Amino acid sequence: MPCGEYFTSYESRMGLFRWRIQRVALVAGLPVPFVLPFLVGGGVVSTISQIYIFAVAVLGLNVILGYAGEIVLAQGAFMAIGAYATSRLVAAGAGLLPAVAVGGLLAAAVAVAFGLPSFRVKGFYIAISTLALQFISEWFFSNGQAAWIHGGARQQFPTEVGLVGPAGVVGTDLDVYYLGLVVMLLFAMLSLNLSRTGVGRTFRAVHENDLAAAVLGVDVFKNKLLAFAIGGFMIGVSGGLYGFYLGSLDPGYFDLALTLEHYVMLLFGGLGRVWGALIGVGVVTFVQDSLRIFLDGVSTATGTNATALVSVFFGAIIIVVLAVEPKGVLAALGQLKDYLRNWPYAY
Amino acid sequence: MVSVAEFTTFFQIVVEGVGLGALYALVAMGFALIYKVTGVLNFAQGEIALVGAYLVVLFGTGAAVEQLQVSAPVAVAATVVVGVLLGVLLERVVFRPFIGEPVLSVIIVTLALGGIFSGFVNFLFGRNFQQYPDALVLEWNVELPLGASIPGSYAIAVLLSLVIVAALMLFFRYTVTGSILRAAASDEQAAMVLGVSIERTIAVAWALSITITTVGGVLLAVRGRGPSFSIAATGIIILAAVVFGGLDSIPGAFIGAIVVGLLRELGSYYLEGGTAVVAPVVDVTLDFGAGFGEILPLIFLLVVIVVKPYGLFGTERIERL
Repeated sequence: MPCGEYFTSYESRMGLFRWRIQRVALVAGLPVPFVLPFLVGGGVVSTISQIYIFAVAVLGLNVILGYAGEIVLAQGAFMAIGAYATSRLVAAGAGLLPAVAVGGLLAAAVAVAFGLPSFRVKGFYIAISTLALQFISEWFFSNGQAAWIHGGARQQFPTEVGLVGPAGVVGTDLDVYYLGLVVMLLFAMLSLNLSRTGVGRTFRAVHENDLAAAVLGVDVFKNKLLAFAIGGFMIGVSGGLYGFYLGSLDPGYFDLALTLEHYVMLLFGGLGRVWGALIGVGVVTFVQDSLRIFLDGVSTATGTNATALVSVFFGAIIIVVLAVEPKGVLAALGQLKDYLRNWPYAY
Repeated sequence: MVSVAEFTTFFQIVVEGVGLGALYALVAMGFALIYKVTGVLNFAQGEIALVGAYLVVLFGTGAAVEQLQVSAPVAVAATVVVGVLLGVLLERVVFRPFIGEPVLSVIIVTLALGGIFSGFVNFLFGRNFQQYPDALVLEWNVELPLGASIPGSYAIAVLLSLVIVAALMLFFRYTVTGSILRAAASDEQAAMVLGVSIERTIAVAWALSITITTVGGVLLAVRGRGPSFSIAATGIIILAAVVFGGLDSIPGAFIGAIVVGLLRELGSYYLEGGTAVVAPVVDVTLDFGAGFGEILPLIFLLVVIVVKPYGLFGTERIERL
């Protein structure tokens, strides 16, 4: 018996689950989300469904921002595109999954279109143009003149929808929960695999130094567009699911605050790390929910508009997180682990 | 043929557009100034203008806190003082830890600041229109040639804005502090070697930028006889102005703001609602729906980013390995 674990092949070195403890954690942990709805109350199940759905969007943002390093401030716009497309196709009877997929493709197409300027400019120019897209989308989806495209600013989803065409009807909170869980696991696997294959490494090369990457023969422009397409697709899919989760659509749900929220989630968890994104979405959603409930209580107790202070607390949290640990909570945990390994000695 | 009445309307809209542009210019110059000196893209400009506009309500009408009520001129003066303090405070508390951090962190910090400011204003005043004190609401109109006329508050706001812009230009050109700011902007290292305190320069830049932005917010509110929450949208509109002007050019920001103000007024008159024009050849009414006036500058922004990303007077970045 060897004293410890060793990597004896490249495959085991690059595996997703490298250590014995990780495999144990997988076997012990994977059933937890599947049995969770039977252990907790209905409100928590709904919150966790939202976490799964947002996780898909934040993973999409992670592909664009964390892997390829492009600052895209149009989360709300991409999700709105996915949601309205899904709503129209569901109403036409296509079934939820094809509708969501088409919504994702549309969002990907718009993302690629807004990635095209990255041929000439980089960095904050993309941030500015996507911020403009965010405002244009809010106007577009609330504009009655464009109703023939998006089908009306306010839309209702049917309470029961077939997964593909009329087959496999879903509609209960539990159905949404499992749907969100499966989609989230799917895209988490996709992101994990993306980051350890050639495509992901190319993205990171472009992120770290695009000029150096270009010198080494990487087609920078093509890879940026590819990142926009993959990330945009995931964000669009998440938007479609979010619309179905909410049951109704309003342009106000997909505003700049949503974009900022997703950035908080990703930066809190740790940029460029799948686990960081998932932890960030979970923690931030629960903190936000309890904050909102607390401030609603304060509002009714004092008769002031204290609910408006949610964005104040949120903004303060982001600034503190960015000032204290810009790499996110996952990096902080890693430092803690290193510290404890040597404790009580300094090294 | 264009009739006299149509031309008068057109002239009226152009005047209003240039006026609005002059108001945007203050906020846009606040943005360009801080980008030039510190490299921070301040996405919270709209919210800072909003804070400035509502500070006058706070001091002038006692809307939120009764004890603070003072007369209108004192309220405006107090707003300017708070603007200076806010600038220094923001630099010391928020932005100093982020010197040398990646551009992403700084962008997110400014967006978060925007959330903080608009949250506070929403908490204190709600999202509705607030009337300014009577001394700041002027009832007379200014008659212009060719039958155009603009409201008095608007005229005063525009005149003040132009005076401030001219004063700023002279300040940068002829005063020592102005030269120091330009020196620090063009080469920080060289300025330091020549004995310029970069820390103090950056503090001055922030104080100046936030002050003119709050004044811009107040004037935008005076134009409408009082502030409403929509002033926050100025933040994105002035991005179109500064990108067109070249991001780090202050005269560019001014020209860009005039263009954007014109686009906005022309867009909201000719391309939306009942006054929309009919396209000449295809005979389609160009009615793009309510609020298109604010969207037109954003479309212009996208076109500029694709066609001429470094704007009119911007420095082109040349990168080497």
